[in-house]
Amino acid sequence: MRGVLNGLVAETARTTIVDLEAGLEHLSRGTARHVDTLFIVGEPYFKSLETASRSFALAQDLGIDQIRMVANKVRTPRDEETVREFAGRHGLPLAGVVPFDDAVITADQQGAALIEYQPAAPSVTAIRRLAEEVLSGDGAGRRGR
Amino acid sequence: MKIAIAGKGGSGKTTIAGTLARVLADRGQRVVAIDDDSNPNLALTVGAGVAVSGVSGIPRDMLEERTDPEGNKRLELSIPADDFISRFGVPVRDNLTLLIMGQPNHGGSG
Repeated sequence: MRGVLNGLVAETARTTIVDLEAGLEHLSRGTARHVDTLFIVGEPYFKSLETASRSFALAQDLGIDQIRMVANKVRTPRDEETVREFAGRHGLPLAGVVPFDDAVITADQQGAALIEYQPAAPSVTAIRRLAEEVLSGDGAGRRGR
Repeated sequence: MKIAIAGKGGSGKTTIAGTLARVLADRGQRVVAIDDDSNPNLALTVGAGVAVSGVSGIPRDMLEERTDPEGNKRLELSIPADDFISRFGVPVRDNLTLLIMGQPNHGGSG
């Protein structure tokens, strides 16, 4: 299916969101070439950030244009500081901070989409902000296509 | 605009991917959300429900073998991507289509 995914991402005129295999190991160079932005989701604890840094290195090697981090399940100011410190140290721009949110768990338990279950949940609000940043063209030097 | 989302299992990447797809679609973007995880569950977070099947049984005449720049032979689409998305995608909302690529029975293959 690698070749099929590659063709889809390369050719479709639609806005494309790809939920990748857990690591980046399966992302082919061909597909990566057509990805404008990679969001690496990381949680504010050591193992998750370690994985994020490996993904960052791999993504740079694959030549992805914009690689940014999204912090998730952030509970405290200290969590946020941990993620900011990590991102700063690695030169990985932080695109968004999504708070820990019970609504995510409850929606999942109820088999519902989070955005339908609780459209004004703090996590949804944070993802809306992320979307605004994506739509604004993010001003971070996106190359024309 | 082509966005990919990576993260450890359990990091919440699928919740973020699905919700982001919904928000962008609500903002008027024509979106295709592609689940490339071998344990696919993007369907739930985009609001397509859980009983959604993935891409399987692609007719051979929609594929052709090509050699990529690294010299690997692989099967690629021989039909336009948007035709493929219309045929195998699951319509979720007016301008949001879900395409499930991951196949739990063959995780990581291909």
